[in-house]
Amino acid sequence: MAKKLKEFLSQLVDRLPDDLLRIDRPIDPAHFEVTALLQHLENRQQFPALLFERPLNLHGKPSSFPLLSNLFATRARCALALALDPEDAGLPLSLEYAKREERLIPPVKVSAREAPVKEVVKHDQEADLYDFPIVRHHAMDSAPYIDMTPVMKDPDEGFYNLAFLRNMVKGPRRLGIHMSPRHNWQIHRKNEEKKRPTPVAIVVSHHPSFYLGALNVSPFGVDDYARVGAIMGEPLRLTASETWGDDFMVPADAEIVIEGHVLPDVREVEAPFGEFPGYYGPQRLRPVIEVTAITHRRDAVFQHIFVGHRDNWILGGIPKEGSLFNLIRGIVPTTKGVHFPISGCGRFHCYVSIDKKIDGETKQAALAALAGCDFVKHVVVVDADIDIYREEEVMWAVATRVQADQDVDIIKNVKGNTLDPSQTDDIMTAKMIIDATRPVKRPFAARLEVPKEAMAKTRLDEFVAPAVLERLRRS
Amino acid sequence: MAGIFWVTCPECRGEFYCHAQELRHKGIKLLCPYCGHQFLDEESPKIVE
Repeated sequence: MAKKLKEFLSQLVDRLPDDLLRIDRPIDPAHFEVTALLQHLENRQQFPALLFERPLNLHGKPSSFPLLSNLFATRARCALALALDPEDAGLPLSLEYAKREERLIPPVKVSAREAPVKEVVKHDQEADLYDFPIVRHHAMDSAPYIDMTPVMKDPDEGFYNLAFLRNMVKGPRRLGIHMSPRHNWQIHRKNEEKKRPTPVAIVVSHHPSFYLGALNVSPFGVDDYARVGAIMGEPLRLTASETWGDDFMVPADAEIVIEGHVLPDVREVEAPFGEFPGYYGPQRLRPVIEVTAITHRRDAVFQHIFVGHRDNWILGGIPKEGSLFNLIRGIVPTTKGVHFPISGCGRFHCYVSIDKKIDGETKQAALAALAGCDFVKHVVVVDADIDIYREEEVMWAVATRVQADQDVDIIKNVKGNTLDPSQTDDIMTAKMIIDATRPVKRPFAARLEVPKEAMAKTRLDEFVAPAVLERLRRS
Repeated sequence: MAGIFWVTCPECRGEFYCHAQELRHKGIKLLCPYCGHQFLDEESPKIVE
């Protein structure tokens, strides 16, 4: 049975009833009202998913598409998306992603008749982006943006690549697209060298496991449709696109797909846009998409990501944890876990725990993390007694197990990320490794511990009533 | 991040920034994110670079 977004929302209500707020008042996403609400909640440290049932579209009229926001802002919801217990949102979620990420499940093809995304099909002039409740996120954003996943197909080898890329709404059938020099950029570059347009299908809304799968860190050349299937735990069902037929397949169970061409040798001003590091990317010259068709379910839900916030950071971090765990464990077999904390935007900081047996393993693990994912700037390697999902424990290890002159390495002139505002170069950055593990070769102080026997014998609920415990504020 | 320069929209006085290598002194009209006005960087009443 193919996974559907609405079934996931029903599961969410069953398992985590306080995690989905339905908002039935009209709201205007293009004039910052949605993100204002999200920011108010964030200021209170509250991160529910929001389903806006009566958003306005870009014509300023009630949209027929409800708008789903902030779905990925908790690890518990991401665990549920992969059919795990929400309680398993820490290390078990990372390890499950790692396990699934080692496989490929090839997609299967279905006819348009069997594809819910073809329930409504609009071509050319019928297709109107302004019918959607597209969100304008932050004060300096130059327009409403679609911020989900464009799919492109390699013209030489035929594999598909998915990535979260921002798309600036420039007209009813015109979008700007920003591509960092990564996989989709490579595909477009190959086409552009031959003066060919690049076919693109933007998967605007789908089951959340599709998007967790889309962020895998597979090498260029791996078919993302097959990898996404592995993460979803079932073959992705594909159907022929409206624009290119069988030559370009699109997800049959998506809520909404926008098809178009990235034009060769066309650049227009695009941005500023509030990006994942929590700063605006500057206005620059970027390629343009001409929309050729829009297809969607009859009752489709429109989705967006609250970029530069927890929704974006948690979604970005979990797939990298899984992918890098597999990579690092191949080099340091005693690797226990990999975590991308929200303090590093789910990308720049990487915490690795290892059960170190010999000196040197730390550096091996850190170098693998840096090589495996170019987003990573700072790797902190800790011992297995440190819970890498509790940042204060990691920083405690840094405070008590690090001598900066011996345990910190800086590597200059490495590929970084164009959106990192601290970079002084467009591409190149500096990376840092912090070895916060205890040394193997010399005696080291023992960590404090209340005797295990006393912990087992002295039960908290015998001294403090459970109701009082529940009321105590967690710091 | 690449080098940037801040501009001020001559129409609404809103301030924003642009990619220096791609847009400074290139004769390309910038787009004000606040009011939609298009203008050359030289028309900005204030540039910080």
